[in-house]
Amino acid sequence: MTTNAPTTIANPSVPATPAVAVSARGLTKQFGNFEAVAGMDFDVYEGECFGLLGPNGAGKSTTIRMICCLTARTAGSLTVLGEPAAPGQRTIKGQLGVVSQEDYLDPALTVRENIEIHGRFYGQSPEVAALRATELLEFMQLDGKTNEQVRSLSGGMRRRLVIARALMGRPRLLVLDEPTTGLDPQARILVWRKVRELKAEGVTVLLTTHYMDEAQRLCDRLVVIDHGRILESGRPRELILRLVGRECLECPDIAPAVVDGLTATLRPEDQAWHEWQSDSWVLFSPNLSAILDRWDTAGIAPSLAYRRPAGLEDVFLRLTGRELRD
Amino acid sequence: MDGVNGMVWPRFTKGALMVFRRDFLSWVKYYKSSVLLNFGEPLTNLLALGFGLGAYVTKMSGDPFVDFIGPGLLAVTAMNAVTFDMSFEAYDRLNENGIYLSMITAPLHPAEIVGGEYLWEACRSLLYGLVFLVVLLPLGIVHSWWALLLPLPLLVTGMLFAGPALWVATAAKNHEQLFYYFTLVVTPMFMFSGVFFPLAHLPVVIRDLILLTPLVHVVNLTRALILGQFPPTLWQDILWIVGYTILFMALPGRRLSRRLTD
Repeated sequence: MTTNAPTTIANPSVPATPAVAVSARGLTKQFGNFEAVAGMDFDVYEGECFGLLGPNGAGKSTTIRMICCLTARTAGSLTVLGEPAAPGQRTIKGQLGVVSQEDYLDPALTVRENIEIHGRFYGQSPEVAALRATELLEFMQLDGKTNEQVRSLSGGMRRRLVIARALMGRPRLLVLDEPTTGLDPQARILVWRKVRELKAEGVTVLLTTHYMDEAQRLCDRLVVIDHGRILESGRPRELILRLVGRECLECPDIAPAVVDGLTATLRPEDQAWHEWQSDSWVLFSPNLSAILDRWDTAGIAPSLAYRRPAGLEDVFLRLTGRELRD
Repeated sequence: MDGVNGMVWPRFTKGALMVFRRDFLSWVKYYKSSVLLNFGEPLTNLLALGFGLGAYVTKMSGDPFVDFIGPGLLAVTAMNAVTFDMSFEAYDRLNENGIYLSMITAPLHPAEIVGGEYLWEACRSLLYGLVFLVVLLPLGIVHSWWALLLPLPLLVTGMLFAGPALWVATAAKNHEQLFYYFTLVVTPMFMFSGVFFPLAHLPVVIRDLILLTPLVHVVNLTRALILGQFPPTLWQDILWIVGYTILFMALPGRRLSRRLTD
């Protein structure tokens, strides 16, 4: 990174090398004989949105729980906001906001009470908590629901309230564990917008998600993990280009026999690889145009085929396979 | 890390006060129905047994029957108010609605959650005990100004029964297992702790066994204060109550801590 580049318009107080918010080295967590996290190395820089992607049971939640000081690591080191993470680490927890997978809203309390009391858990005075709650209900567009019981809220509103609750303590690091699972598209878009706004304010965001479009939109960098290990890490765009290429050809509802005929025409210089994604056959190659010409000439071009940009979902499937996880 | 090898004592911190506050806010929403639930049974017992059975059994160790059972039922009311909340409600806070799980993401220690719950249960015991006292007043069962001291034992009673119930809630795997606590512990204690009959004529072995349980001592103390009769062994009851309260206090901390941070 060039330090004195004349094009830099950035705030001079922001250092060229970003500060590290979370640093894991050889991070390991065992439950009995089961190794949920099997030696992970990664850094989350301050101010970025960092994604933790992986199938169910890959070790995402355990990693998140260690970072949130909710469970102890078995081995390795884990530094969060400059302190070693461990259960009961108040200095860290006071600077974290956690959106857990489950809502865990208090059904006995109103919308406002739910987040106000959370602010009090962070040691805020009644006045500060009340003010912050008002701000955040507005920020998450819940200000019309202030005095309603939580059970009357829709799924999207509940999720927004959980995010508001996580922001009560003015976190430096916001941890979002599957923040949009089960939400309708409108609600997801609102959550994404809010996450971007928070990032713009300098909040570091750690995100786990099953939605690759979500990761692609929000994450500056991400790791794909499975079986407790990091498979790949990098920027979404860079991962896509490196692992699956710029674009692919997707052929829905194609007969395997037809596919056999198509693959027979592939040449080594095509650097092609292909796979079945559900009922679609997908072909990846930097040489797609040439391949399509070849098929046209041979008269075997499939009747239905979409040429589309490759995405993070393709990366994910390539890395973690297609078998179902529970 | 604490909470793995040693005992985890409750912490009565500012954070614990906020846990108390959450319980209070929640109670305010439900108190109407919950007061009825907690009074229904003891009040039925008092009326049916005190005046029904009392028409036949007129005296119990020298006192009118209803005078004898009234103070005992007050102690039971306090115990039940606490036990229901710390078993079924706490089980839900831990397993169903995740209230403890959300608390623990904030800078709160499990021991502060336990501390806050104890503070609240002390108040619950006080509240429900005092309302029951108000029921006893017009019935002419309160005979002594010493009854004004009742808040103190009621507060302690709340703490006393909160620990074991919360321990059961953290250990239970489902709601059914909580019923075992009631069937095997709470109900027998209710029946044999000198609420309905004095222990004096029971075989010594059984009486000594009963004296090893906590409720009987609370019953003796509330009866002494309400009737203004102070048996010479009352100081022993007080010692038992204080001893058990301290002993039971550390029961749930370690397990809750493990459940929340494992």
